[in-house]
Amino acid sequence: MKEIVILSGKGGVGKSSLTAALGTLLGRRHSLVLADTDVDAPNLHLVLGAERLESSPITASEKAFVDMDRCVGCGLCTDVCRFDAIIGDSRPVIARYSCEGCGACAIACPEEAITIRQVTNGRLDIMAAGDHRVVSGSLDIGASSSGRLVDVVKRRARELAGELGAGLILTDGPPGIGCPVIATLKGADHVVLVTEPTPSALSDLGRVVEVVQGFHLPLGVVLNRADIFADGRGQVLRYLDAHRIELLAEIPYDPELPRALARGELAVTARPDAPSSLAIRALGKRISDLIQRNGPGRAISLKTMT
Amino acid sequence: MDELEPEVIEDFHHTPFATPIIGVTGGKGGVGKTTVAVNLAAALAAHGLRVALVDCDVDAPNADILLGLTLADEVPVTVTRPVFSPDRCTDCGQCLSVCRLHSLFRPRAGNITLMGECNGCEACFLVCPADAIDREQRRIGAIWKGGADSLTLYTGRLDPGLEEGTLVVRRLRERVAAEADRFDIIVIDTAPGIHCNVIEALKGVSLAIAVTEPTPLGSHDLDLILSLLAMFRVRGTVFVNRADLPGKIDEIEELAARRGMGVEIGLPLDRQLLDSYVHGVPVVHLHPHSSAAMTFAGIAGRITGEFIP
Repeated sequence: MKEIVILSGKGGVGKSSLTAALGTLLGRRHSLVLADTDVDAPNLHLVLGAERLESSPITASEKAFVDMDRCVGCGLCTDVCRFDAIIGDSRPVIARYSCEGCGACAIACPEEAITIRQVTNGRLDIMAAGDHRVVSGSLDIGASSSGRLVDVVKRRARELAGELGAGLILTDGPPGIGCPVIATLKGADHVVLVTEPTPSALSDLGRVVEVVQGFHLPLGVVLNRADIFADGRGQVLRYLDAHRIELLAEIPYDPELPRALARGELAVTARPDAPSSLAIRALGKRISDLIQRNGPGRAISLKTMT
Repeated sequence: MDELEPEVIEDFHHTPFATPIIGVTGGKGGVGKTTVAVNLAAALAAHGLRVALVDCDVDAPNADILLGLTLADEVPVTVTRPVFSPDRCTDCGQCLSVCRLHSLFRPRAGNITLMGECNGCEACFLVCPADAIDREQRRIGAIWKGGADSLTLYTGRLDPGLEEGTLVVRRLRERVAAEADRFDIIVIDTAPGIHCNVIEALKGVSLAIAVTEPTPLGSHDLDLILSLLAMFRVRGTVFVNRADLPGKIDEIEELAARRGMGVEIGLPLDRQLLDSYVHGVPVVHLHPHSSAAMTFAGIAGRITGEFIP
């Protein structure tokens, strides 16, 4: 089984739209499972128009709880908390969004009034997009431990791929470079980074490249909206050249794309001959080749895309 | 999640200074949060205010790029790393059992090694009866400052490959708090999403501007961030970017109205705005008579009227 992860550093450069398009194209010939690990703002199912089949709570976070009958208000818990998660003057109150569940407060408490318990911090949804399954996680409002939520989404996607005999998992990752991104990268075989020709996107690309290279994962870059700013395109190409990073595709800006999205259509299927669709189809073929060329472990057979 | 305790909400809104804070957030990435934050800050500075702009997107900070500023005055952000002394260790094993990240190993008797992630919680220090653990500082990122008195930028950056972004945001906010009296107003730019970095960044804001775009994705993520604002009882307003996109503005208006928030129909993506974006000059300076610049001047005027005595 192969896992391809799509990341970008900067948000809003087209990760979800590209994942949906690639999933649709690659999925015509191959059995695959799609995953969405942007648990803060999962959007892949919206682009795909996926329907929810099942939904279950995820308990992947730990928090401190204070038994007020035992608490004597000594304040030792507040002193030892390194995350400023214990507030309140006369009695300790746990700010759950800051609590890491480390247990330091429970150790410090002389009255054994504090326990660390698992709490629900999100949901796992299995959805259907045509013949394909989408595994998507979502963080509860005000909850934390998004990295652990991502671990659960990835585990479920692998199980489901095993059950369905799917050889490929295509994952739409979160923006940024923090814990959910690192959790998304764990166990991946290949990384596709999406960027656009602007100084901000290039700066964020450089940061996510550092993270991916730290994991020694093969990566390639897709330049989306490649034609919106010629100088920026030049800067991205020079950066890739200097860092010996493969440019997988340049996708031209498609002003029709937002209209297709608003109608709930995918441009690659609704308008297969649009320049952006042609570029994405060529990208699909290159990704098939990459899986065969770079993939460690068992090679999967991917036929040539057309 | 259940409702937050009143103490938690009160603590969230408490700041040790009187300078008002405006937060710019939005849920979805790439909707123009930083564009709005940078231009609002520049427009407020043009009103004669001393403005601090704080880029709390420590994963992917871009405000310095959009302002064309060089960052200086670097202060590293560090977290405690435990170092275990075999000489003093009595091999009691208590540190092993309290580490909830399971990052401590005992390859040989009396020899403890940190392998794997450590968030600096210091639980191991609390249980060690032999004082056998020393504190070292591990760098996780840094915070910078740049710009002039009228518009000062504070930026935090998480070092790539690390996970402690929230701590970088917290240290960044502390640095700004220590210097808050030098400013008339503080503008905070947050990361996308609804996670702890975003919550930490929004602490103490008097008003949060939720930036969105009229697409199904924009509405979906706007609903999430508005739910977060409601949970923390933050006053919010919605700013629709890319208003030229074909999606349903009425859907956004409905989401905002449900929470008693107003909607500002903001910027179409025009050449002048893109120009400003790629050249690192706020549109309020580059094209002061453009509709985008007028929009920001209008918002800055209203914010000044309401929050500056």
